[in-house]
Amino acid sequence: MTRIRRGYVARRRRTKIRLFASTFRGTHSRLTRTTIQQKIRALVSAHRDRGRQKRSFRRLWITRINAAIREMGVSYIYSISINDLYKRQLLLNRKILAQIAISNTNCLYMISNKIIK
Amino acid sequence: MATFTTVSFFSTPTTTASLTSNFKNQSFFVSKTNKPTFFSPISLTCSPLLQKSSYVSKFSETEALPVIESQPDSELTQVAEFTDVETPKPEQIFAVVMIGGRQYIVFPGRFLTTQRLKGANVNDKIILNKVLLIGTKTTTYIGQPVVTNAAVHAVVEDQGLNPKVIVYKYKKKKNYRRNIGHRQPNTRIRITGITGYQDFPAVTLDSLKH
Repeated sequence: MTRIRRGYVARRRRTKIRLFASTFRGTHSRLTRTTIQQKIRALVSAHRDRGRQKRSFRRLWITRINAAIREMGVSYIYSISINDLYKRQLLLNRKILAQIAISNTNCLYMISNKIIK
Repeated sequence: MATFTTVSFFSTPTTTASLTSNFKNQSFFVSKTNKPTFFSPISLTCSPLLQKSSYVSKFSETEALPVIESQPDSELTQVAEFTDVETPKPEQIFAVVMIGGRQYIVFPGRFLTTQRLKGANVNDKIILNKVLLIGTKTTTYIGQPVVTNAAVHAVVEDQGLNPKVIVYKYKKKKNYRRNIGHRQPNTRIRITGITGYQDFPAVTLDSLKH
């Protein structure tokens, strides 16, 4: 067999990985083998956390709605308010309610008055 | 009874309200995902989180005009009059609309990125019928579940793809790795107006005080 040099094949592959991990801390952005491992872990975390993101935002919205409702004094309890929301056939979701709660409290007050009747 | 203040809900788009884009939306909602511009960075939407408004303020254009030369007084008065004339008060109305299974808060004049609307071409006029809530500074129209006969008019601006998301699957010690890229198709629509809500029973703060 003739002699074949490997050339720049491996280097090209590794530069892409190094670019991805260029902002990582310490050896995680400097040493090749560590960088490869950290890139994999980063991508896996991102994938997993995209699912978690949906959960954590819903938690945040619920907390905010709860706080706003307790402060307003019409019904005082998140779970009862959500129950009333469904009974009255309103389709607003928690994202919108949380946004209204922080920016337009009048509107939320009007909504909670309407559903409590 | 406590007094409620409308916080900068209707501030001009130049002032940053707590309403930023659908933060979640980019990935998702809305902001994500919003999903804003209007929405705060909390809304998913997206990921696609909330929206990112591209409302161009007229202020930047008018202030560039005055010539910085002699006769400062006349120039200043001219500029003052000009800016007064240039900004007629808009209606300051918002609507909550459901598109593609997600809800968005919508203002006339701003744009919105949603799931790809099939069969819509660029510069098509679109009417969104699923309007769940309409609010102005003083009144709200709360739909049960929908505000009847209300319509949000929009124009399709662009049919594109979301930024690429790398779906990397990996199981350790089992020699299993999958590297998949994904670009979700989306549609950008610009909201032109909100109509059809006048006949619906409105709720105002005064009516509640009784």
